[in-house]
Amino acid sequence: MSIPTIAVERQLINDTIRTFFRTRGFVEVETPLVVKSPGMEPNLSPLETEVVEPNGTRHPAGLITSPEYAMKKLLGQGLEKIFTLTKVFRNQEELGGRHNPEFTLLEWYAQGADYQTCMTETEELVKAVGRSFHRTFPNFKRRPVRDLFLEKFALNLDQAKIADLKMACDQAQIHTDPSDTESDLFYRLFLEKIEPQLGWDPVFVHDYPIHQAALSRLTPDGLYGERFELYLNGLELCNGFTELTDAQEQRRRFAEEAVARKQAGKTVFPIDEELLRLLPSIKNPTYGNALGVDRLHMLVAGRASIQEVLLFPANNIFNS
Amino acid sequence: MSSPNDIKKGTVIRLNNELNVVIDFQRVSPGKGGSFVRTRMKNLKTGKVNETNFKAAESLDFEDVQNKKMQYLYTDGSLYTFMDNQSYEQISISGEDIGDDVKYLKEGLEVAVAMHGDLPLTVTIPMKIQYTITHTEPAVKGDTASGNVQKNAECDNGLQVRVPIFINQGDEIIINTDTGAYSERVNK
Repeated sequence: MSIPTIAVERQLINDTIRTFFRTRGFVEVETPLVVKSPGMEPNLSPLETEVVEPNGTRHPAGLITSPEYAMKKLLGQGLEKIFTLTKVFRNQEELGGRHNPEFTLLEWYAQGADYQTCMTETEELVKAVGRSFHRTFPNFKRRPVRDLFLEKFALNLDQAKIADLKMACDQAQIHTDPSDTESDLFYRLFLEKIEPQLGWDPVFVHDYPIHQAALSRLTPDGLYGERFELYLNGLELCNGFTELTDAQEQRRRFAEEAVARKQAGKTVFPIDEELLRLLPSIKNPTYGNALGVDRLHMLVAGRASIQEVLLFPANNIFNS
Repeated sequence: MSSPNDIKKGTVIRLNNELNVVIDFQRVSPGKGGSFVRTRMKNLKTGKVNETNFKAAESLDFEDVQNKKMQYLYTDGSLYTFMDNQSYEQISISGEDIGDDVKYLKEGLEVAVAMHGDLPLTVTIPMKIQYTITHTEPAVKGDTASGNVQKNAECDNGLQVRVPIFINQGDEIIINTDTGAYSERVNK
């Protein structure tokens, strides 16, 4: 694809996103890229660096893997509806295909509403961007993870224990490992048998088992986390939540993730205390969603790989 | 023991006492928990291709594989024949084992053939390959105005590509085999 085409397309997408949120009363905010606590998720590897003051004082730092912490701090300081279009960075990712170590994320939050409202808003946004490329989408379906597992494996996640998940893997002839946790087994089933069947039409998969929804509020029955992902053309486009606003619970999960990072031999970044201090000031419910803009670009422009929507793909920077 | 993070195209994995060669792989990270490596592997005994997902934290048995530099010679339509330029030894591999990359092969192209003992498994091609344009229509007036700044072209090995409108028949171009996209024109 020609460079001028990609540039003009991206401008159109960004303009459509900005108009969409401005007309809905959102404030666009800028968040820092270089921070002290770039993220605690055990499977992410932030790019690490150092901030050096003129007097030689050195501060270990990292590039953000998501603007989430900064966004939540702004919510805690009284901003009601915010969005940001920012670069985020993830090391040890593929250089091409569906991944690039540096990519553009749209993240938005609104206080006073939950993930159902957010799903509706996400559908309207994707359709609006589609329209600017003369593309229309069928209405977006909503499928609870529980229903997908019942249909595919006759497995009821309400009660399923680790042994039930293992048995479902064995029956479906899915490779497992003795070290597998409940979360690993769940994900093997999902990755191998559910995800490939989600098809091309837009579908929100929602209400994930608690071990798959670290930062979300629980459903009223207490069995699932209020998290959703949007799948479209076989691409996973976004990840949204009714956000967790309980600072104590958040601190417990950070501590758990710190242990997991240490065990995996990864850098353990300090817990973001400012975030924990501001978290209780956020209303319940509050929803948030993170959407990959490069993937949205692939979708509306009909490109199969992320290199075809970037002006400077990482593969060209580092492998040529 | 090896880590699934070290899986590459052509890696041979011993799983349930059978040998499997990796044809394709992709890393996936779920929202929570460890990351996985999704692989498409061919069972070397049954020839069956299947998808297997490995957790990054698993340990796997890799078998030794040697990468041999060889030159592509010809195909009979199903088998692709390569030659070692030092020993003049020739080997043949099926198009299925090479995968999607067969379309980039052209006579004389130097590739890396993954060998398990005497058994050729698959082929890795260079990321950038030079081709001669054997056919393309001249640019049509108005192409630029409509934003359609690329056109179809055929390369010396039959490969169909999209190229900028300033490319003419007989030009030498570089194709990025990672994306399949036109990369640059070679100055003569």
